[in-house]
Parts: sequence; C-alpha cells; structure tokens
Amino acid sequence: MSNAAVLVRRLTKIYPLPFRRGSVEAVRDLDIEVSPGQVYGLLGPNGSGKSTTLKIILGLVNPTSGETRIFDQDSREVASRVAVGFLPENPYFYKYLTAEETLRFFGRLSGMHGTALRSRITELLEVVGLTGARDRRLSTYSKGMLQRIGLAQALIHRPQLLILDEPTAGVDPAGSREICELIVRLKNDGITILLSSHLLAQTQEICDRVAILSQGRLVREGSLMDLISRRGQLELVLENAPAELLKEVEALVTLRGGRVVERRQSTNSLEQLFLEATAKRTGQK
Amino acid sequence: MSDPSQTSTRTDSVPNSSAIESESSAVHRASGSDPKTLTNRSAASSTPSRNSFGYRRFSPRRIATICTNTLTELTRLKVFYFLLLFGLLLIAGSVFLARFSFQQEFQILKDVSLGAMSIFSSLLAIVATARLIPQDIEDRTIYSILAKPVPRFEYLLGRLGGALLLLAIAILAMSALFLTVLYVREHSVLNETARQMASAPAEQTNQALQAVRASGLNPDLVPVIAIIYIKACLLAALTLFVSTFATTNIFTVMVMVFVYFIGHLQGTAREYWLHEHGADWITRVFLAVVALLFPDLQAFNLVDDAALGHAIPLMIFGKIAALGMFYIAVYTAMAGAVFSAKEL
Repeated sequence: MSNAAVLVRRLTKIYPLPFRRGSVEAVRDLDIEVSPGQVYGLLGPNGSGKSTTLKIILGLVNPTSGETRIFDQDSREVASRVAVGFLPENPYFYKYLTAEETLRFFGRLSGMHGTALRSRITELLEVVGLTGARDRRLSTYSKGMLQRIGLAQALIHRPQLLILDEPTAGVDPAGSREICELIVRLKNDGITILLSSHLLAQTQEICDRVAILSQGRLVREGSLMDLISRRGQLELVLENAPAELLKEVEALVTLRGGRVVERRQSTNSLEQLFLEATAKRTGQK
Repeated sequence: MSDPSQTSTRTDSVPNSSAIESESSAVHRASGSDPKTLTNRSAASSTPSRNSFGYRRFSPRRIATICTNTLTELTRLKVFYFLLLFGLLLIAGSVFLARFSFQQEFQILKDVSLGAMSIFSSLLAIVATARLIPQDIEDRTIYSILAKPVPRFEYLLGRLGGALLLLAIAILAMSALFLTVLYVREHSVLNETARQMASAPAEQTNQALQAVRASGLNPDLVPVIAIIYIKACLLAALTLFVSTFATTNIFTVMVMVFVYFIGHLQGTAREYWLHEHGADWITRVFLAVVALLFPDLQAFNLVDDAALGHAIPLMIFGKIAALGMFYIAVYTAMAGAVFSAKEL
C-alpha cells in the first residue's frame, strides 16, 4: 500500500532491434515516487528515457520489467487513467474539429456529458485563454494555442494527476510563461504534476522535486532545493546599500568566521526582459 | 537589465530553511498569481465531481464518440467524394449503354450498377480504413485518446464503426440512385409496353407488364445490396487488422489490394486443388488457413445472379451473411489482439 501519486519501481524497458541486431536500453532500474500535490520534474537530455517512462506510466508502452502505479493502482489498468490527464509533446489533435468540439470529444471519452461537460468546456476555455477561438478549427491554431487546448483536454475530467511531456516545447516565451503560471495554479489547486522538460530554468521555477535521467538511468533525484542549494552558502540581496555599508557587512562576515564568496550586480533574467519589452510593444499598438 | 541599486552577496555558513520559504513564495510572485484567488476559484469549480465519473470496463457511449468522430474525419476526405462520385456517375451512365430489349437493358443496368457499388465500396473500405490507425499514431493523437480511460479494444471498435457507417452512407447513396434509375426506366418501359399493346387482349398485356416488372425493380435486389455492404465491411475489418501491424497507409493498401485479388481467385484455386490433390486432412487445414487469411470474396458476389433476375434464396443469403459476420468478428478480434500488445 502506497500513498504516492506515482510510484515507479525497478522499471526497465529494453527495445529489441529488428532482425536480432541487438537491443536498446531505454530505461534501466528506475525508481521514482511522486507524492500527491507535488510538481515533479523528469529531466534529461534527448534519449535519456523521459518519454518512455511517461509512456509506460500511461500504459502506452509495456515495461520489460518493474512496475508503475498511479494512486496505488497498476498503471497498466485502464481504470487508473480516470485520475490522469496527459499532454503529449507537440500535441496534434483532429484539425477539422473546433476547440469546443475537441474538448467535447475528450470529455465524452472521459465519461462526461450533458450540462456538466458544457460548463466544464466553457470554464476550461476561459482558463487557457481560448474563449475567443472557441469556434475556430484547430487547423488555424498557432503552436502555443495548440499547447493550450492540449492542456485543456488534459484537464477536462478534473484529473488528480497531470502528466506533461515537454509542456512548453516550441512555445514562445510569453506562452511558455502562461503555461508555467497555469501549472503553479493547478499545483495550488492540489493537483499533482509530473512533467518532463528541457527548459531547466522553468523547471527550477515550478518543480518541488526532480529526477535527472541519463542514458536511461537515474543519476540524481531529490527535492529541488536539496539538489541545487550550495551547502553553507546564502545569497543576500541588498537595495540602495552604500559602499561603506557593504564594506562593513563584509568585514562583519569575515570577523564572525564567514567568507564573502562573490559580490555581483543583481540582474533580471533575459526572459523577464523579453516579456517586459514585448508587453510594452503590444501595449503601444 | 540589471538593477544598479541591488547587490547580491553570497556568504558561507547559513542554514537554508528560510531560503526554501522565500523560494516558495517567489514562485507565486514570479507567476504573478494570487494563490488564494486561484484556490477559491478552483475549489468552486472542481470540488463537486473530481474523479466522480465512474469508470466502466465497456462503454458503448465511448465507442459511439470515437465512431462519430471517425465518420466526421472520413467524410472530410476527398477520396470519399471521388469514389462516391465515380460510383454515382457509373450508375447514372449505365442508362445510356446499348440495349436491344428491356430485359437486356435492366440486366446491364443491374450488372453495371451493382458491380460499381461492389467495387467502389470495396475500394472505399480499404482506402478509408487503412489510414485510421497509422495516421493517429503518426500524429500522436492516439496518445491523447488512450491516455483517457479508453480501452484499446473500444478505440478499435469505434474506428471500425466509423468506417462501417461511412460505407453504409456510400452504399445508401449509390443504392438510392440505382433504384431510382431502375424505377424510372421500369415505368418508362411499362408505359411504352402498355401503349404498344393497347390493342392486344388484356391478359396478354398483363403478362407482358408482369414480365417487365419481374426483370425490373424488385425486392430480390435488397439482399444483393446487403451482401455488397457486408463484403465491404469484411474488407474494412481485414484492413483494420493489417493496419494494426503496418507502419504506413501505403503498405496496408498494397497488402489489401493483393488480398482482394487473391480473395476473388481463391475459390476457384481451392476447387482445382481439391480436384487434383484430394482432400486429406493436411490439405483441409492448409485450405482453412488460406481461407482465413484470404477470405473467399467470390462467395459474396451475387451481382451476376441479380443481373440475370435470379432470386437469392433466404437460406443462401443467411449463410453468406453469417460467413461475412464471422470474418468480420474474427478480423476484429485479431486486430484487437495485435493492437492490445502494440507499443505506441
């Protein structure tokens, strides 16, 4: 019995190559545990086994050995997916459907219908900012809009666990920022989120815990702060501090046995600059 | 860029619990969201029914959803309209074919029209069904669908159901045109016959009119059209099975064209084999396997009988329909078995 939202135990996946030319080891002896309410990041370079792991958790691929459980239910059981919403990498939906029809389709697949489904569609289109494009066919959507409708379909049946495969891949910084904000809002709503990403800065911003995979093996796992904080070091950001004060602080630190490791000018991130600049430009228009 | 008034200083030997707290609140600041507002909003929207949708192992509603979506998808394909148009043109054009007597006219009309229905519905079954699964896998739409609580077999049934609905629409459209053309021609011939035999005795006139009606539009055509539909469904089910292990549409279509020709020839080949080699048990098993892999499509060809005006006995119709259903069930089950183990 486990309380974990997602439990992966000694998971191994080996793909045999055609004509008995050997095999490819996608994942080897992977152990991860995602607690309810966490945002868990699965990180790693291309081919490190992130997508394979997510596919196994979703029952799309069979493991060679090991087990995966969702809320203590074998994830190969279709019933386990009642609790799961999934956004694939670069999602592609039926382009002849409108946003509303797409959500209705996925809602019905999840067992929803009638007024409950209609009101949920309206609510989600508002949440992902696509109310104005409700009746437009997806063939006219931009990549960012497709990503947002993908998120909406993943959320349609109010899942307790959201699995996102590269949720911000190919999306511009503003769209990417919106998706990150939405993830934080969902986390605040108590939804567990398991995501894979290449964008480390964003992952750092939203994840509570991360696992780093390399060539199918787990190389680091733990609470984000535990993994990235430098032991015994603290950053102190001062505003309008005169040079004399800084000298005094540094002298005091040295006097009390500490050591000033680095002193540098505070900066904004490039993303922050980009968002501010493009927001102003849009505002001028 | 940088804020000149801010300076960052990093020092050693400091516990970091406060850093965790400040990091946590920084997330809210960075995202520009107000946690309280979001919680309230989401609580209002999500509390009543989170995960309260009961999961059923088998749901006709889910199958119907995939089925109607498949039908929508297929009716947007140009190939559907091309094939339907060719079929309709051929049926309409058969009116202008050479004729020497009304029997010949009706025979040609039935032969050409039912033949066109059979060929175009078979082609449509293969072309439309071949793309369904490979396209979903290539576009990764299948991930979003199967990540919902949808068993793979339901997905397959829904996809097949959509294709069968499309075939039903195509055959209904072609049948409607065919029967209308036949009805119009029959009435035209009836009027002409009645006019020509105006001076003949009533009994003789009635016999002539009866002969026209017998070779024109009659209920015997319905089972023939039904068998054409069942044959198209069989081909759709077999195409679906092939597409579960094929990687491209082209491969599936090529295999199915091959199966189509073998299927039409295998009945004759079987009779020749049995005649030449006898019927020991090895031969019987071999022929059974061949018959399963390549369905005897010639058994579903009742067009010639219908054109000649032969009625199809109910027993024969029942047997052929049951054979078709058996094939459809077997191929669908085989598709389900392959697809359930498929790595996506």
